[in-house]
Amino acid sequence: MNEKLKGYKDKAKNMLEKYEINIWDIISIETKKSTYKGILLPRNEYSAPNVIEIKLDNNYNIGINTSKIIQIKKLGVRKADYKIPKKEFPINKKLPNIILFGTGGTVASRLDYTTGAVIPSFTPGELFNAVPELAEICNIETEIVFEILSENMRPEYWQKLALKIEKAANEGKEGIVIGHGTDTMGFTSAALSFMLKDLNVPVVLVGSQRSSDRPSSDAALNLINATRLATSDIAEVVVCMLGSSSHDYGLIHRGTLVRKMHSSVRHTFRTIDDLPLGMIKDKKINMFKQDYQKRSDKNTIAKTNFEKNVALVYSYPGMENDILDFYVDKGYKGIVIAGTGLGHVSTKIYDSIKRAIQEDVTILMTVQTLHGFTGMNVYSTGRELLNMGVIPGRNMLPETAYVKLGWTLGQTNNKEEIKKLLLTNISGEYIERELPIAFNYNIDQLIKKKK
Amino acid sequence: MDKLDYKKLGLKCGLEIHQQLNSNTKLFCRCPNELQGNKNPDFTLKRLMRPVLGEMGVYDKAMLTEYLKGISIIYEGYNDSICTYEIDETPPFSCNNEAINIAIKIALLLNSNIIEEMHVCRKNYLDGSVPCGFQRTMILAKDGYLELEKGKKIGIDILCLEEDAARKIKTENKINYFRLDRLGIPLVEIATKPDINDPLECRETAERLGLLLWSTNVKKVLGSIRQDVNVSIKEGTRVEIKGVQKLDWIPVLIEHEISRQSKLINIKNELKAKELKKDNIFNKSMDLTKPLAKTNSKFISKGIKSGKILHGINIRGFKGIFGTELAEDYRFGTEVSSKVKSISGLKGIIHSDEDLNKYKFSESDIKKIKELLDHEEDDCFILILGNKNEIEKATDVIINRIQYAFEGVPPETRKAIDNGNTEFIRELHGGARLYPDTDSQAIINSEEKINEIKKSLPEYPWNIIKDYSEKYKVEDQKIKDLIFTGNLDIFNELLKIYPKNPVLIITTLLDTSTALRRDGKKINNILEKDYKEIFNLLSRKEIGKEAIEEFMILKSNKPHLTIDQIKKELNIQSISVEELNKIIQKILDNLIDLIKEKEMNAMGPLMGELMKEVRGKIDGKVISEELKKNLTKKLEEINK
Repeated sequence: MNEKLKGYKDKAKNMLEKYEINIWDIISIETKKSTYKGILLPRNEYSAPNVIEIKLDNNYNIGINTSKIIQIKKLGVRKADYKIPKKEFPINKKLPNIILFGTGGTVASRLDYTTGAVIPSFTPGELFNAVPELAEICNIETEIVFEILSENMRPEYWQKLALKIEKAANEGKEGIVIGHGTDTMGFTSAALSFMLKDLNVPVVLVGSQRSSDRPSSDAALNLINATRLATSDIAEVVVCMLGSSSHDYGLIHRGTLVRKMHSSVRHTFRTIDDLPLGMIKDKKINMFKQDYQKRSDKNTIAKTNFEKNVALVYSYPGMENDILDFYVDKGYKGIVIAGTGLGHVSTKIYDSIKRAIQEDVTILMTVQTLHGFTGMNVYSTGRELLNMGVIPGRNMLPETAYVKLGWTLGQTNNKEEIKKLLLTNISGEYIERELPIAFNYNIDQLIKKKK
Repeated sequence: MDKLDYKKLGLKCGLEIHQQLNSNTKLFCRCPNELQGNKNPDFTLKRLMRPVLGEMGVYDKAMLTEYLKGISIIYEGYNDSICTYEIDETPPFSCNNEAINIAIKIALLLNSNIIEEMHVCRKNYLDGSVPCGFQRTMILAKDGYLELEKGKKIGIDILCLEEDAARKIKTENKINYFRLDRLGIPLVEIATKPDINDPLECRETAERLGLLLWSTNVKKVLGSIRQDVNVSIKEGTRVEIKGVQKLDWIPVLIEHEISRQSKLINIKNELKAKELKKDNIFNKSMDLTKPLAKTNSKFISKGIKSGKILHGINIRGFKGIFGTELAEDYRFGTEVSSKVKSISGLKGIIHSDEDLNKYKFSESDIKKIKELLDHEEDDCFILILGNKNEIEKATDVIINRIQYAFEGVPPETRKAIDNGNTEFIRELHGGARLYPDTDSQAIINSEEKINEIKKSLPEYPWNIIKDYSEKYKVEDQKIKDLIFTGNLDIFNELLKIYPKNPVLIITTLLDTSTALRRDGKKINNILEKDYKEIFNLLSRKEIGKEAIEEFMILKSNKPHLTIDQIKKELNIQSISVEELNKIIQKILDNLIDLIKEKEMNAMGPLMGELMKEVRGKIDGKVISEELKKNLTKKLEEINK
């Protein structure tokens, strides 16, 4: 596409070409009724044709239909002059050294007022400029590991990230923070939990639900909480995000039990089936649970092998055999089913399940209710599935189960060992006891009671 | 004051009007468009606003100042009228079409060009009044005009459709409390061009804009329309005056602003003539806390005892400037002091142009101050008392404001106060706070839609006023009042039901309801359908016009009653003319002596007696006619 007239097509493009006008030019458009002066803006390629879009002097954007335009004049060119103020991140030898890995998304950013585009800031200096509070917590080093939208996350990125963490943890970084898009943060936290054996420092995943270019963003507060947490003694992979809609406290979620539960609210992350590990407010950490792995001198080992041919399938009424057959035909090695109720599928797809297991495809059952355990001895369907060789995933979240199955199949080909690994609590994905309040805990009430 | 020569002064005024629209739901979510009054909120949320990096990678100064105040925000919401959109937890939904259509109608009445493709923009607000930190706004029309009575056309620069902000309830312990019910109500902002050159013309423009808006589907309650006036004169600068609540304030505010600006220009020229330079007038600024610890002034010594610091600033050659009157009851000293109050939180300043006796300084106090500050005869000194932080901020404000005296009039947003003067709110915002809203789609205003709306444009209200006042023989003001009380539509409806007495309808809607409201009656309980039923009863002669007020009182007190039930409760059974005549006969017989004595002059007292029995049960006009007829007959009988 012609970058000079980005997004313009048909009549609008012809007209702009005729008057030799490019985007960012300052122009005046004469219509039958009015004259509009402004800067020609690039256009979204999916927007209506035959409209020319400009930013007026008063900074409002408007679109003018070409059919109304008598003529266009070029008055000049807008000069862009971006400068980010250079500020050094102050080093304080008394404070712990933290590394922040970037994976995409924006923890700190500034705005291009013309396009509305968000320009990320990521160097320590830029971060310090945006969130100066960080300098009171730690010394920070940053590294962009990759720059992707979190929906485009892939197992190979988890592997790369795990290796980076292994190196940083063993080379003396006292804590690791990972900036991550929130969409698949729960998958990544589970993957890192399984891949990092004997983790010796905190690994904290953090993101924001309101981008950092808006004054009401949760990004700065989440980042402050996450870096503080990275200096704590919790040597686990955790997610740290706001715990309520207020800009008040963050919650600390174990990486294998956490799930994004709302498409947009700030407190979207919830620990499922258990209480969160704890909370953080005004840099103070308050633990709800004590059974967490502590900081140690062990050597962290990244076991990153991962079988990519694993699928996650949602059971639904009317499901047919061809769904599972498809994966088996394609050579998939494992399938996680998010089953109905206690871990069921329609008896109509027994054939495809039997076939899959016969062909050494591991089938791991979870519950689409998210809360609660599989209970495959309760009804005949469950018993029959167990008998076929389906492995019950207990309380595991379907997403965590998907990651665990991929990771397990990456570790071994042995059928018995696969089953054994799957049924072993590797990284806190299994709970022993389900607390009655775990189903619908209310943190605000919990805090009030504690007081 | 002599009438000023506005042309020579180069007076330019513009108006900015904000008006809430009366759509069913809000602009970007489907919450009801209803304020919740003083109802207790169902939930609260705490939020912090952080300044964001601007286009050039730096923080906006005003934003940073706001942030450094350390203010947090508590939002108060209601479960049945606030959704996750208002609390900035869900992206916007589609823009409300009903609101767009109302705004297009207004734009067409203002002869404006409708923008074919609207783009929603964000305007940053860090005071917390919008939970996401920005207001969503879009230009809907541009370059229209409003015609005044004598034919002058006032240009309409832009008409924007935007969301109203949350209501500020209070500030307590560095927390701003906002209630979210108002947030998101559709609003049109109309900005005129600076084509207005006379204070009365500005009043007329504001009145016409108001009338025009209130003849469309906008919210017609107190506070649903807000107007700001922009004023500048030659060599002066544009100053925005907010919070203009009454039309009659407009000319007064403008006169005062003209005076303020011209006097500031005079000061600028005076300083130039004195050959003073803004960079070397502050010869001394120092801490006077210790030397004046034992001052005679209780005000100062008490402050110092409580831990406050006293600072003095001496300004070379400034004698008399602080005492210069800029407008009635408003000196340059007031100007500096009100800015200090607004920014630093101090209660005010003391300066040597004011009567220092009121602070009870002793002569030796003054001497000491003058000596310590190297004060000379031509100078002015300022004293400020407060904590360290306040003193620092106040000193900055004072120095900046004094230095600006060399340039004339600072561009500011000011607030109208009761005596016709204004006080500083903030520096005038630049335009760079606007940027595209990446959460919404462009909105197309098709030619078909615009043409459809054109078909149903109402008549201009000033034509209606002229027409009605002639047709119904009432003053213009009455019809204006009908519009400005939101009663024109009801009037038209009632006129269809009861065409024979338009004045009675106007009196009912304006005078009776105002009187009852002043009496503390909740006349909002009387709905349009209630008025219709009352006038239906009237037109069927089931009640007399004298009963209207009683119906209104009872409906105000007992809103759950229907008009029919009220009729029963009032025991109004209409009577026929025959029944009336029987009652008249009875009274005439009873009061025969009075009739003999006063003859036709007995009409008055007889009417009084009669009304006791038949008030509201039959039309008063019929009563008086029948009484007259009967009395004449009776007198004839007597005189036979």
